[in-house]
Amino acid sequence: FFGSDLEKFITSLNTYRMGPEPGCHFNASRTQQILQATLDRYLEGVCYSPDSCSQLCQMLADLVLSKLKDVNPPRYKLVCQVVVGQSGKQGISVASRSLMNPNTDNYTSAVFQNHSLFAVALVHGMYFE
Amino acid sequence: DLNYFHSQTTFVVDEITTVIKEAVESTIGNSSYQHSKINQWMSGIVESSLSQLTKLGKPFKYIVTCIILQKNGAGLHTASSCFWDNSTDGSCTVRWENKTIYCIVSVFGLAI
Repeated sequence: FFGSDLEKFITSLNTYRMGPEPGCHFNASRTQQILQATLDRYLEGVCYSPDSCSQLCQMLADLVLSKLKDVNPPRYKLVCQVVVGQSGKQGISVASRSLMNPNTDNYTSAVFQNHSLFAVALVHGMYFE
Repeated sequence: DLNYFHSQTTFVVDEITTVIKEAVESTIGNSSYQHSKINQWMSGIVESSLSQLTKLGKPFKYIVTCIILQKNGAGLHTASSCFWDNSTDGSCTVRWENKTIYCIVSVFGLAI
């Protein structure tokens, strides 16, 4: 392969590093605090409405991601998912499972509920080997 | 040859969608919403999805999220944002429904 194809296949230089430095792991408890605080602050007193909630959901996801990028240790990829729903009489269940390296990777979640809506936020931090 | 290499190292949405649809169909195919069976269904869907994904044998870490919602007229929104490498990582979401259940499965694949 030549030229642009070669660029595509070179993703990063070899650092000979086997794992993240001690102290540079994905901090699950701190992430959980940030997640919970963000949800509480932005959703307090908000009423569910079908048109505005889809934008609200995306905005929350982007907001959480930008806050986490500041505290994110190097070489960690983040996946953040936010679910916002109307508090009706329905049953709902959210589950997640992942294939990851338990020594380096982790996840956290936060839940918020008020009289008209509920929100669940999930964040996974994956080490890029 | 180049295409083969490319397909083995990047996230191919169609393949993953097929895998997930099969996993959901086989677990909750014709069932009606039953609160007592939720845990079983969730584990079933997520675990069979993950095991099928690992069988693809690609150098990826996967995150599978499943939402099961009873059809009662309430609204639901889900959004995600990710901090990753756009050229190799990807996600796909599969929406499935029957008369009483909505099932939304999201798969995120991160290259290692």
